[in-house]
Amino acid sequence: MNLAFANPRRFLAFARLAIPWAGILGALVAAIGFYGAFAVAPADYQQGETVRIMYIHVPAAWLSTACYGIMALSSIGTLVWRHPLADVSAKAMAPIGAAFTFLCLVTGSLWGRPMWGTWWVWDARLTSVLILFLIYCGILALWNAYEDPARAGRAAAVMTLVGAINLPIVKFSVDWWNTLHQPASVFRMGGPTIDGSMLWPLLTVAIGLTSVMLALHMAAMRNEILRRRVRTLGLIAASTESRDFSR
Amino acid sequence: MIDDQHWGFILAAYALSICVFGGLLSWIVADYRLQNKALAGLEAAGAKRRSDGDLE
Repeated sequence: MNLAFANPRRFLAFARLAIPWAGILGALVAAIGFYGAFAVAPADYQQGETVRIMYIHVPAAWLSTACYGIMALSSIGTLVWRHPLADVSAKAMAPIGAAFTFLCLVTGSLWGRPMWGTWWVWDARLTSVLILFLIYCGILALWNAYEDPARAGRAAAVMTLVGAINLPIVKFSVDWWNTLHQPASVFRMGGPTIDGSMLWPLLTVAIGLTSVMLALHMAAMRNEILRRRVRTLGLIAASTESRDFSR
Repeated sequence: MIDDQHWGFILAAYALSICVFGGLLSWIVADYRLQNKALAGLEAAGAKRRSDGDLE
């Protein structure tokens, strides 16, 4: 994000304009993608109609790691520059990333049952994504364990950066180990292996949901800035009251 | 459109997605209203910060 907006007041002014645009535009783009997924893209020659789950499962999987990537970059901002908006960004992203990871796990399970004959298997991809979800839960718990947001931010930033080691494991698990989960079929050396008629709706949904995710992130950041203002004003009001009382 | 025997799995996946997005959006909107209400209450009570540009 542009450093000009790395000031809470400027960020709030920017967010007021950007949130509805990013949210509505993202929802429209995603709707076009879902139309393509259900009305234009053909059924798979092996999986039949069940392949339609891919159009929500795969973007959710991409966004689960993208959200963590944004959290990790924000955590660097917290630990290196101690910028207050950096830990606001990290805290705001945690529940959104957890939601996308949860969606990825459950839609994957709903896709796996008819295709693999099982809801769950402890293969490297599924297990590493489950670990990602547990890391998100741990970070959310850590944020709620401290009263002071600055202390919570530093502790959560350390945990986020330690947990970032799981991101390449999620990405390359299907290459490093023999997994029931299929290998990469879009972002791979040699180009996508998916037919164009299925690829464009998939990418369109992914672009739309990315925009929706950014809108949700900005909205959650705005809430966190307001929460910190409420906390500060509450502390000021309490100290004024106690000073008046002691007179 | 969906004439596959596994349509239930497809519907469940999309129904769950709508619930997750709806839940996330509702939580963010409710939190925004809650924080604005709390802020307005404190400001009405006369609480003021030295600087409006800072978080803390």
